[in-house]
Amino acid sequence: MNLNTFYLAMAGLILAPLLGALVAVVDRVITARLQSRMGPPLLQPFFDVGKLWSKVIAPASHWQGLFVRWALVASLASDVLLAAGGDVLMCFFVQAASASFVALGAFCGNSPYGKLGAQRELFQLLAYEPVFMVAILCMAKASGGFDAFSFMAAQGPLLFKMPLLVPGLLFVVLVKLRKSPFDIAASHHMHQEVVRGVYTDYAGRDFALLEIAHWADVTVVLWICSFLWATGPLQMLATGLAFLFAALVIDNISARLTWRTMLGRAAPLTLILATANLVWLYLE
Amino acid sequence: MFGSFLKTSQVKSPWLMHFDCGSCNGCDIETLACLTPVYDVERFGIINVGNPRHADVLVVTGTVNQRNAVILKNLYDQMPSPKLVIAIGACGCSGGVFREAPNVLGGVDKVIPVDVYVPGCPAKPEAIMDAVVTGLGKLKGILEASK
Repeated sequence: MNLNTFYLAMAGLILAPLLGALVAVVDRVITARLQSRMGPPLLQPFFDVGKLWSKVIAPASHWQGLFVRWALVASLASDVLLAAGGDVLMCFFVQAASASFVALGAFCGNSPYGKLGAQRELFQLLAYEPVFMVAILCMAKASGGFDAFSFMAAQGPLLFKMPLLVPGLLFVVLVKLRKSPFDIAASHHMHQEVVRGVYTDYAGRDFALLEIAHWADVTVVLWICSFLWATGPLQMLATGLAFLFAALVIDNISARLTWRTMLGRAAPLTLILATANLVWLYLE
Repeated sequence: MFGSFLKTSQVKSPWLMHFDCGSCNGCDIETLACLTPVYDVERFGIINVGNPRHADVLVVTGTVNQRNAVILKNLYDQMPSPKLVIAIGACGCSGGVFREAPNVLGGVDKVIPVDVYVPGCPAKPEAIMDAVVTGLGKLKGILEASK
């Protein structure tokens, strides 16, 4: 590992969660503007995490603290891997581990809502992970390598070689950002039929760490989406923002679906499209 | 510096939980009206949560009776410290017109300590928002005194 890789990894470790926080506030302000409201101030996500950090509350289970910390480490590791130009497939697996730790922690608690949310989190993993993996395989096939630098060094925008990935990646963004119609395990908004879903039992400092892990996850997902047009940093930023805005608009105009619809319709449809694109790339 | 940021955060990010303790729904409607585009409490960082473990401010409407007193106490106990309680409306403040009923204990303060009282039947959304701001001022005073 040379010094440049180390600097890139450190930048990923520090800047990626900050970018995720920026996404969180952009999300809340734009949602508010779409609803003719003003929305919170720019520093609101940091105030929320600071407030949660200073709260004194006993954990629902002693295992939860451990799982939260593992989830945070896994999420930050996926950021570091991506920033340092590591294997994107490995980054994807590490990020999946983070989501699993969140679900495992919720299973340790006492709340039936938390356990229901944890089951739904596993269903979500089952729904979006295959689509996400096929999308990364498509990008790797088109760019000739699995590392992030190869994706970014691809000749021309990858989007033209893989248009059928767009619905699949949008599905992944909606699930990971916890947006309607796929905010099934836990809604990004604070009200849901299962209270706060998978997050119900987490509180205080553990919840603050989970929020930081969520910021890191959001950055990774939008970053991978931005590889579709990775001809330059600005183009990547614009692609990531396009996915974010699409997710926000869909969130504001749709109601929550059930996990059955997600697993039975949305996931197979997007997976078929993504696989068709992969087969097309191999046949080309 | 980090400590002062944490104290500021507690005042800037009040997550609010609303509990209907047997209200006629008048005060509940006015409380939820605070979230609408007309009043938009999210600009103060306020979010309406449904989970006591995530809440900082407990907003209670309606009279307390023998049955819901236990639930009210339970919700209050599940909230992490520091926490605020706001009693909304005549019923929440004192039991209102129902205070002499045989099953009614009275206002919210018969069961849990109340920080701010909001009179009215129903209380106006402006008064409810003012109560939250007053409560946060009180919290800020407590946090600064604990330096």
